Amino acid sequence: MIESLFQNILNALQWGSFYSLIALGYCLVYGVLLLINFAHGDIFMVGAYISFFVVTFLLGNFGLIPGLPHWAVLALAVPLVMILTAGVGVTLERIAYRPLRRKGAHRLYVVITALMCGLILENGNLALLGASRRNFPALVDETVITVGGVNMTVLKLAVIVVAVLSFLFLRKVVVKTKIGMAMRAISYDKFAVPLMGIPVDTVIVFTFVLGSGFAGLAGLLFAMTYPVLDPYMGAMIGWKAFIAAVVGGIGSIRGAFAGGFLLGFVEIMVVAFFPSTFRDLIAFTILLLILWRKPTGLFGVARRTKI
Amino acid sequence: MLSVENLHVRYGNIEALHGVSFTLERGEIVTLIGANGAGKTTTLHSIMRLPPPEAPRVTQGDIRFEGASILGVEPHDVVRRLGIGLVPEGRRIFGNLTVQENLTLATYARKDDSAAVQQDLGRVFELFPRLKERQRQLADSLSGGEQQMLAVGRALMSRCEVILLDEPSMGLAPLLMFDMFRTLKHLNEEGLTILVVEQNAKVALDFAHRGYVMDTGAIVAEGTSAELRADPSVKKAYLGG
Repeated sequence: MIESLFQNILNALQWGSFYSLIALGYCLVYGVLLLINFAHGDIFMVGAYISFFVVTFLLGNFGLIPGLPHWAVLALAVPLVMILTAGVGVTLERIAYRPLRRKGAHRLYVVITALMCGLILENGNLALLGASRRNFPALVDETVITVGGVNMTVLKLAVIVVAVLSFLFLRKVVVKTKIGMAMRAISYDKFAVPLMGIPVDTVIVFTFVLGSGFAGLAGLLFAMTYPVLDPYMGAMIGWKAFIAAVVGGIGSIRGAFAGGFLLGFVEIMVVAFFPSTFRDLIAFTILLLILWRKPTGLFGVARRTKI
Repeated sequence: MLSVENLHVRYGNIEALHGVSFTLERGEIVTLIGANGAGKTTTLHSIMRLPPPEAPRVTQGDIRFEGASILGVEPHDVVRRLGIGLVPEGRRIFGNLTVQENLTLATYARKDDSAAVQQDLGRVFELFPRLKERQRQLADSLSGGEQQMLAVGRALMSRCEVILLDEPSMGLAPLLMFDMFRTLKHLNEEGLTILVVEQNAKVALDFAHRGYVMDTGAIVAEGTSAELRADPSVKKAYLGG
């Protein structure tokens, strides 16, 4: 019994890690632009596909280069995937969101644009690569280690550690650095930011780099853990991560991180006690109750303005 | 130093400024006075090159700084390259940042070392001791007067040589207002060039060397502060008879 509890906790931590990593990206972009970037889940999907191509390439499976050893592939894949996925996020910002911002479009239109961008990424992928699923090559040793009756793999632990480190890193950036201050300043009053000599667009691009880069990292880890990729894999997990960010208190880094883990826990624990078909029903009912009690989310604060 | 020449600007189909011209020389305090809606804020936002919807489109005329047109300059470069700062109407401090963060943020673009920044921070705290006391507080928690100090402090931290003030007296108790103008006068004596926009014409003319009177998007009178104070039409319209 106690083993199964620990097993579930471990599983929940791992599952929650993916939600957290994706929720952090929602949170960063929302925090700065007050834009719910609904394409974010699909950026995660693109990150997983980029991971697939980068890893396959580095393993030498395309025959373009002699294959590298697995550790080297992983060491190169992490930065490459993050940079390339960040590039996708920045491209979206450039071609879809920035023109609207320049014209002073209402936020509603930008959100709709984000939804459309997500659909374009999904269907673009479908058109480009076809509907067949991709199998992600095995990279790490998947031997199951059993400690006190709890099964774990190195990968499972690594996912959790990466999520925690990513959170600490992003928090540090937002709280301690000048560009982090600028990000917070934009969320409060975009008008006054250029008056500080700060190029607003640069800060926004940086935000998309961070959010999409970590979505790419999540994509890589997800593909390594669940090695079957399809173009719609980002849709549901993206929605759920968005809900996690809202429950945590959207705009708060801590909230996104906690919300991701909370959702992971709720889902895993529901499945532990109820038929798995009830998972989403019960999980989201619980989240609804939390929002009902605290509409701003766990760590969110109602926005106050002073004139 | 700064010259606005025959400036016409539009918000959509509505022309907000119809040929505004004035100059600001180094070391001066100049005021733009006029009623609400005369185009004073629009003029300042145009100088700062703020993007729409805050600033309208310039359709005719020019804004020159040290002789060169600045119409193509990005707003953040107006601050960091040209050294023109704006203390906006309503102050627009970042309430979710601490006082110290607000001041640090203004040094974002500065390339000089942290010692120089620290020195400037010390100077701002010397000018506004209240800010020093409250440096770790969220700026949201400051009183209106303190927020105004912070807004001016911010402009100083970005090492501006010219500072544009939009309605600095608004919402301040008379005593605080006089304090603020005294501090600004002191900064001017140290070399800061000031362009101040005010609805409170009396206070503005006491403070400035020269002034321009704006009405519905155009300059209708200009002169030294003494001349404007003596002008019967200015007296009647803006100084309460």
